[in-house]
Amino acid sequence: MLKNWTNIFLYHIKNNKLFTALNILGLSIGIAGLVFATLYWNEEHSYDEWNPEKDNVHMVINSFNTVKWPYTVGPIGQYLENDPNVESYNYCYNWYDSDLFTYNGKKQKIAKAFHTQNKFFDYFPFPFIFGSGKNAIKDDSSIAISERIYKAFFGNENPIGKQIKFGNNFYTVRGVYKNDLKSSFAPDVVVTNNVKKSLAQSLDLWETFNFCLLIKLKDNSKKELVEKKIERLFIEHVIKVEAKEANISLEQEIKENGIVTINLEPLKNARLNSLVKEGYPEGVGNYQYLIIMLGLSILILILSIINYVNLATANAIKRAKEVGVRKVLGASKRNIIFQFISETIVIVFFSIFLALAIVEISLPYYNEFLDKDLKIYGSQFYLQLSFIFGLVVFLGGFFPALYISNFETLKVLKGNFNRSRTGIWLRNSMLVFQFAIAVFFIIGSAIVYQQVTYLSNKDLGFKGEQIIEIDYLKKIDPQAEKENKNIVFQNYMIAKEGLNKIKGVSQVGTGPFSFGQGARSSSNYQFHDANIQGKNMAVDFGMMEMMKIRLKEGRYLSEKYASDTINNVMINETAMKLLGMKEPIGKEISTGNGVKFKIISVVKDFNLYGPQEKIAPMVFMHLKTIPWMGQNVNSIYVKVNADNIEKTISDIEKFWTTKVDTEYPFSYDFVDKKYARSFKEYVKQKNLFSLLNVIVVLIAIFGLFALASFSMERRLREIAIRKTLGAETNILLKELSKQYVIFCSIGFVIGVVPAYFLLQKWLENFAYRIDIQIFPFAIAFVSLLFLTLIIVLAKAYQVTKIDVLKYLKYE
Amino acid sequence: MIKIKNLSRVFRTEEVETMALSEISLTIKQGDFVSIMGPSGSGKSTLLNIVGLLDSASGGSYQLLNQEMIGLKEKEKSKARKENIGFIFQNFNLIDELSVYDNIELPLIYNKVPSSERKKKVEEIADKLGISHRLKHYPQQLSGGQQQRVAVARALINDPKIILADEPTGNLDSKNGNEVMELLTDLHSNGATILMVTHSDYDASFSQRTIHMKDGMVLSEKTNSRNVDVLISQ
Repeated sequence: MLKNWTNIFLYHIKNNKLFTALNILGLSIGIAGLVFATLYWNEEHSYDEWNPEKDNVHMVINSFNTVKWPYTVGPIGQYLENDPNVESYNYCYNWYDSDLFTYNGKKQKIAKAFHTQNKFFDYFPFPFIFGSGKNAIKDDSSIAISERIYKAFFGNENPIGKQIKFGNNFYTVRGVYKNDLKSSFAPDVVVTNNVKKSLAQSLDLWETFNFCLLIKLKDNSKKELVEKKIERLFIEHVIKVEAKEANISLEQEIKENGIVTINLEPLKNARLNSLVKEGYPEGVGNYQYLIIMLGLSILILILSIINYVNLATANAIKRAKEVGVRKVLGASKRNIIFQFISETIVIVFFSIFLALAIVEISLPYYNEFLDKDLKIYGSQFYLQLSFIFGLVVFLGGFFPALYISNFETLKVLKGNFNRSRTGIWLRNSMLVFQFAIAVFFIIGSAIVYQQVTYLSNKDLGFKGEQIIEIDYLKKIDPQAEKENKNIVFQNYMIAKEGLNKIKGVSQVGTGPFSFGQGARSSSNYQFHDANIQGKNMAVDFGMMEMMKIRLKEGRYLSEKYASDTINNVMINETAMKLLGMKEPIGKEISTGNGVKFKIISVVKDFNLYGPQEKIAPMVFMHLKTIPWMGQNVNSIYVKVNADNIEKTISDIEKFWTTKVDTEYPFSYDFVDKKYARSFKEYVKQKNLFSLLNVIVVLIAIFGLFALASFSMERRLREIAIRKTLGAETNILLKELSKQYVIFCSIGFVIGVVPAYFLLQKWLENFAYRIDIQIFPFAIAFVSLLFLTLIIVLAKAYQVTKIDVLKYLKYE
Repeated sequence: MIKIKNLSRVFRTEEVETMALSEISLTIKQGDFVSIMGPSGSGKSTLLNIVGLLDSASGGSYQLLNQEMIGLKEKEKSKARKENIGFIFQNFNLIDELSVYDNIELPLIYNKVPSSERKKKVEEIADKLGISHRLKHYPQQLSGGQQQRVAVARALINDPKIILADEPTGNLDSKNGNEVMELLTDLHSNGATILMVTHSDYDASFSQRTIHMKDGMVLSEKTNSRNVDVLISQ
C-alpha cells in the first residue's frame, strides 16, 4: 500500500515541482516563524523556573498614590524578626554595582557585583562548586564568586581562603557558585559589608527608600497579613508623625497625602508579570512584546496553512479521477483519507526540517534583534515541535483529505464533476482571510514605520553631536562628605581644568544623569498644594549651554551670581505645569524637609529619557548647592571639535589615565549614539515588521496565484464555449478577474478593523505618537489590489489564448 | 446469482425528476453472458451501475449471491464490490500516474493480499492477457487495445464472481474491439459470469442473451444464436 501511495505522490511532485517547492517553502517559513516565537517564549519563561524558592521569596513593592517602587526603607526588617508568617528577610539592592576585582596582579572590572545580606543564597540556591550557600557570605570579609569569575582569575586552583581585592576592600573567597540558569538575580560577585553598613545607618530612616527587601514567607496564603502589617508600620511611623507635625488628624493626613500600600511580589512573577520595571537587576521581560511575536508568528503560520489547504483542495480536482478509480476498486473512505493525510505528513516533515534549517541560519540575527542568546535545544522544545507538527498536519491535511474522500465515484468517473457548493465557499473564504491578514500586515508595517520615523526625527530638545560621555569613577570619601567638603566636585573641577587645556576640547560639563538613561535621583518638591517627584539635575555652569538646552524664560545659572550656588534653581516646563505655576520666576519651591529654592528660569522640555517616554519634571541646580548629589555623578561630558576628533580623544585618554583615574580603563561613548540606542528596540520592531510584511505579502500572493490558476483551469471549457460564441478577450478578462477584486475588497474591510485597534494599542506605548491617518490604509488597499490584478490578469490573459477545440471535444 | 425485482431509479434535481429505471426485473444465473442494449438515455448504464454497487436504487430489490444489496451502507457496498465484482469501462479509467503493474496490482492491495502473492498474480494475469512486456510502462504509452487489456487484467485479478463491462469496445477500433470481445468470450467459456452494456449489435452477438431497454424499461429479452464454427473432435 505505501509503495503505491509513494509512487503516485512522487509522480505528482515531479510534475508539479514549482508548486510543491513553493508550498513546502511557505509552510517552512510559517513553521520557522512559530519556532522563533517558541524559543523566545521558552527562554523568557525559564527565568527563575529552576529556583525551588520562587513561590516563597517575595519582593516588597511600595505604592504611594499611583507610583510603584521596588525600593523600601531600612527599619522594616527589625519588625519582621518575630512575625509568625515570616521565615526570614533579606535586604539587598535592586541593581548591580561595578568595580575593579584584583587577584594575583590581574585586574578586571566586574559589571555585576551584588550587595546583600547573607540570606541571598538561601533565597537563590545556586549550586556551589566550592564552599556552600550557608557559609559563602557569612561575614563582612567573605566574598562569593561565580564560576565565570573563578575560571577567569583562578584557573583550576582552589580559590577558597584566598584573598582578593574588590573595589577598595579586601575579601576572602569563601564560595564559588554556578550561575548558568536564567535568574532575575544573577550576580558574578556577592558581598555583604556594604548593605550591612548602610542598613545600620538607616534603622531609623523611614523616608529613605534605598533598599530592596526580600521576604521569605512560611505560608504563602498569609501574604496579605504581612502586607497589611508593613502598611501599618508606615502609618505608625510616617503618616501619624506627619499628621502630628501638620497638626491635623490621621484621617485628614491620609486624605491629603495618601497612604503607602504594600504588595509582596513572588519571585515567580518577576520576569513577566512584575508590578515594576526596575525591581530586578536582570531586568524584566517585555510581556507585551512576547505576545506580539507569538501572535504574529501564529498569523503567518495560519497564512501558510491556508495556502496549503487551498492548493490541496484545488489540486484535488486533478486527482478526482484517481480517487474515483480507487474507490471502484475497493478503497474505503478511510483508505483515501489516510492516503492523503500521509502525503501531508511527508510534506510537513520536510517543511519542519527546512524550517529548522532556516531557524539555524537566522538565529544569530534573531538573537541580535532580541538582544538574547537563544539556542535550539531542550526536551520541552522538541515536545513543542512535535505539537506544531501534529497541528499543521491536522489543520493542513485533514480537511483536504476529507474533501477528497467524499468525491462521488460515479460523478468523477463520468467527468461531470461538479464541485460542491461548500467546497467553493470554503476555499474562497480562506482566500479572503489571507487577504485580510496581508492587509493587516501592510497597514501595521506602514504605521510602525511612520511612528518610528517620527520618533527618530523628533526634536529632542538637546544636541548631543560631538559630545562624548566619559565614565567617571569618582573617589568618594564618606568622612569628607559628612563634613560637607564636596570632594567629588573639587576633584571634578581639577579634571575639568586639565581637560580644557587639551587641544580640540571646547567645553566640559557634568551632572548626575545620562542622556538616554535618565537622572540618578529624584526628590519631592512642593509649591503650595502641589508636589512633584522632580528629577535632580545638578549641573556645572555651562553644562546646559553645552548641550544646547534652551530656555523658555529667564536666564542660565552663572558664576556671576553668588546665590546660583546656594539656593537658585531652574525648573522645566513639565515641572512648571505639574506644580500649577503660572509665573514661576522669582517664586519659591521647597523640598520635603523644608529647604527652599528660588526659581530663576524655566527650561524648555527635553527628552532625557528615550523619545518614547514622557518628559519628567526636572529641577536644575548647581552641583555645589546640594553636595550629596555629586555622589551620583558617573560621567563627565566633553565637547570636542569636529576636526581631528581621533587625536583629541586620544589626548584626552592620555590625560585621563595619568591624571584623573589611574586604575580604571578609559571608557567613553558619543552621547548621540548612546542615546540612539535607547530606543533602538523600536527601530528593531519597525524593521521586523517590515520584513514580516514582505514575507506575508509574498505568501498571500503565491496563494492567490495558485488558487486563481487552478480555478481558471477549471473553467477552461466554459471559456472555450464563450470564445466560440464570440466573446472578446477583454470581456473575458473582466469576467475572470471580477471575483478576485471583490475578494480583495472584502479582505481589506475585514483586515482593517483589527489593524486599527491593535495599532492604536501599540501606539499607547509612546508618550509621543502620531495619529493614525488614512494614508496607510489607502496604501494597503491600493497595493494589494494592484498586486491582485497583476497576478490574476496575467493568468487570465494566458488562459484566454487557449485553443478552443482542445476543450470542446469532450464526450 | 443476480436477482433484480421491480428495481427503480429516480434522479431528482431542484426542478426536474427523471425516471431512469422503471420497475425493472431480471435474473442472471451463474455462467451467463448477458448484454444490455438500447438507445441513449434508456437507462442501461444506470442499471449497470446499480448492479455494480456504484449507485443506489430508489426502490425495488437487488439480490447479489442471495444477499440483498438495496439499503446497504457505503462501507458494506464497497466490501461486496471489491470481493465480488470486476469492472471494465469504456474509457478504461486507468490511473495515468501509475505504471501498468501498479494499476493491475491495485485491487489486490485493497483486498489485503500479501505482497509476495500479489507479484505472482499480477505477472500471471499479465502473461495471460499478453501484456507482460508492458508492465513497467505507463498507460499513456500504450495503444487503446493494450490499455483495455490492462483494464481487463485489473478487473480479473481478484477472480471476481461477476464481470461488468460498460461499452468495453466503445473507444477502440474494430480490430482491437474484436480482440477484447474474443477475450470476453474466452473468459465466459471458462465459466465467468458477464454483464455487458453495448451499443453495437456485433458485440452483443457474442453474448448468450440480449436485453433491450428503452426509457427505463425492459423492452425484450432475446437469446442469441451464435455463428460459431464448432470443431467437434473425438
